[in-house]
Amino acid sequence: MRVLPGLTIAMSIAPTQEEVAETGGLLAPEVPWVTIVWNDPVNLMSYVTWVFQTYFGYKRSKAERLMLDVHEKGRAVVSNGPRESMERDAEALQGYGLWATFEKDE
Amino acid sequence: MARAFVRDGSRYVAVLDDSERTVLAGLMEQTRVLLAPEVEPTGDEWGDLVASLGVSLGGGRVAEAGPGEARDPALDRLLPAGHRGDDAIAAEFRRLTEEGLRQRKSGNLDVALARLRATRRGRVVLDHREAAAFVMALTDVRLLLGERLGLRTEEDADALYESLDDLDDDEPTGYAVAWYDFLTWLQETLTVALMGEPGPRV
Repeated sequence: MRVLPGLTIAMSIAPTQEEVAETGGLLAPEVPWVTIVWNDPVNLMSYVTWVFQTYFGYKRSKAERLMLDVHEKGRAVVSNGPRESMERDAEALQGYGLWATFEKDE
Repeated sequence: MARAFVRDGSRYVAVLDDSERTVLAGLMEQTRVLLAPEVEPTGDEWGDLVASLGVSLGGGRVAEAGPGEARDPALDRLLPAGHRGDDAIAAEFRRLTEEGLRQRKSGNLDVALARLRATRRGRVVLDHREAAAFVMALTDVRLLLGERLGLRTEEDADALYESLDDLDDDEPTGYAVAWYDFLTWLQETLTVALMGEPGPRV
């Protein structure tokens, strides 16, 4: 991802209590499919954060943490659940121009 | 000389000069041609959904290049495979989603082009829904231009920018990169405006 020199995005990446609770709810054990977003050299860090907030309704802090995971690790799991939901998420994120795929979580 | 997108009350406003609007519209039109769906969007979301389902279920041209006709590699970035490692799952996903994605992306580009053509004294004025369509349209234009410039990895991007110093002034790549950078800047300002608090009225 690219970030423009001179345009600093305020980042607060320290996890909050609220966020931990939110993540706990998402990781139900019986949901074996995941949606993955892959790093690419075109999408902007700010835009990827906006997409995560807009589409998933994630808080800014969680959206930024996921965005940084994509940027630094090359990919991040952005949602999990039944296969149909993951196909829907991957399709929606592709609609935003993100490089999204879905797969069985193994 | 362009002025960045800023929030103005409930609107998002940028100022682009004639050449900037002409080039941006031209790039959006090229992206629109590449992404053209089989059934053109009408603006009626429900009707468009039904139409795209009909195409997805009925086969048709979707995703499959004809014999001897290669699929444009830029399409693989604008409409990437939905599954890595299982071609059958990826093909099924593409069959079910490609027409709908083409419709939505084309719809975003249509909104952006209409707003670009409706400017007065260069002011591009967007409401929230139009701003979201515009920022997504800018993404697809940058993905297409980025693919044409060979930007597939972060290393490609670094190499491209390093090579610019050695380019002659009239080299087409230099122009393309300059416009790519302009679009990047414009998209960054619109994204920041979309994410930010309402700004002062300007």
